[in-house]
Amino acid sequence: MVETILEVSHLTVRREGRAVVDDVSFQLRCESDTALVGPNGAGKSTLVQALLGILPHHGGSVHLLGHRLGPRGQLGAAVRSQVAYLPQTLSLRGRLPLTVAEFVGLGWDPPGPALPWHGAGARSQAVRTALTKTDCHDLAQRLFSDLSAGQQKRVLLAFCVVRPRRLLILDEAQAGLDPRASDRFHDLLYQLRRSEGWTILQVSHDLEMVRRTCDTVLCLNRSLRCSGSPDHALSPHQLEGLYGRGYVPYAHRHASGAAAPSP
Amino acid sequence: MPFLQRALLAGMLSGALGGLLGSFAVLRQLSFFSDALGHSALLGIALGVSLGLDPTLVLIPFAVLFALGVNQLARRSRLPGDALLNIIYSSSLALAVVVLSRLPGWKGGLQQLLFGDILGVTGRDLLLLSALLVVTVVILLLTGRRQVLLTIDESLALSRGVASEAQRLLFVILLAVVVALSIKAVGVLLISAFVVIPACASRLISGNFRLYLLLSALCGAGCAVIGLLVSAAADLPSGPSVVIVQLGVFLLALLLAPRTGRVVS
Repeated sequence: MVETILEVSHLTVRREGRAVVDDVSFQLRCESDTALVGPNGAGKSTLVQALLGILPHHGGSVHLLGHRLGPRGQLGAAVRSQVAYLPQTLSLRGRLPLTVAEFVGLGWDPPGPALPWHGAGARSQAVRTALTKTDCHDLAQRLFSDLSAGQQKRVLLAFCVVRPRRLLILDEAQAGLDPRASDRFHDLLYQLRRSEGWTILQVSHDLEMVRRTCDTVLCLNRSLRCSGSPDHALSPHQLEGLYGRGYVPYAHRHASGAAAPSP
Repeated sequence: MPFLQRALLAGMLSGALGGLLGSFAVLRQLSFFSDALGHSALLGIALGVSLGLDPTLVLIPFAVLFALGVNQLARRSRLPGDALLNIIYSSSLALAVVVLSRLPGWKGGLQQLLFGDILGVTGRDLLLLSALLVVTVVILLLTGRRQVLLTIDESLALSRGVASEAQRLLFVILLAVVVALSIKAVGVLLISAFVVIPACASRLISGNFRLYLLLSALCGAGCAVIGLLVSAAADLPSGPSVVIVQLGVFLLALLLAPRTGRVVS
């Protein structure tokens, strides 16, 4: 039997009295790579934040690794440390004097009070490995706030992979990455799934990338409009239903004349 | 203990506490908040005097309640935070001065309250400040990493299981108690300098977070000691002397800091 990592059932999230995520149900099976697509304002970020307990939910249920998430986002520490989140942006105020290595180390720390020297050796080893995995080892002593947006994304991924996890949730992770970094990023996600058994849920606007890399697509516009394989969920018919009449899924033509796969 | 030694010890403790908490407060844009806390403390003192109670003992719960109230108001209000804080601190200052001026039996001077009176530091104040430094260091050791994560981004902190609201309140309460206990030596008008200037000087020259915290606390304590010695030697008011020394250190850090913003790593 395939293990279910995340089970969402009739989830509703309200903001200022309005349902921004309405009666959404789906499951993520182990080692799947699922894309969450939809127009701006469709509730994608709200949905992932509710799954992580960052936002409270007002109806339905979320089970992460078989454990139920409390309505105000409560989740046991052991389950919490199995889940990583890569947000769309960071508020990062006031230019923190925090090095990349210090930042990634924060991802290693277990939840709950701990003295700073607790597990120092294991932490610094894990930080080095994570920075090497994400091609960031040369940035270790740089200040995080001095990095470009693309470099910060790579460091955030290092923050996520500094501990073995079961589920990684990414909110528009590839935005701001150059093509090489983007490819490297997706290679790493693939590797995490294949060799370390991670399950991935990613919010994305890059439908070409979704077609290429994901095995399941969830189309959201407040409620779940359709779901299934990329071929099914990203067909012109479904996309028109999601993004509105007249939407033509683009085929990106390169200088060499090679066209991206069309639906 | 002779008064100068008592004053130096009190200054050192207040300086270190201001530097430690200031390093987080500055990054979280709470500089103005600490200013409002300082100004409102005068209202707490006025309240204590008019009720015939010990002002220090009234000031601690007053500052904590005030800080929690302002924190809630700032989070719920649609007004810009700095405008709201301005309304709160100018009106509490005005109220306090009016209340104090109507108290016939009050012998204390407004001047000392506004700019600090190091002669007024008692043995009990020292004991309270020492206990507070121990509590602050223990709390920062145990929760510092989560406080850093919260300073970077609240969503990221929540996703890692940080109880952000509890951590935020814990920090605001600590800051309020530090301000309440340091008021006597530093004065109502200049207390926020103790929180802001050492942290900013340290930020300019620190290449990592651990160093930033350490330099900020050392700078706070060091400036207080030098400032108080200068004030004793030249018969100057204590609070302003310390702040002028802090300014000197800040300018030095500004000169030393290369464009990358750090010289020590």
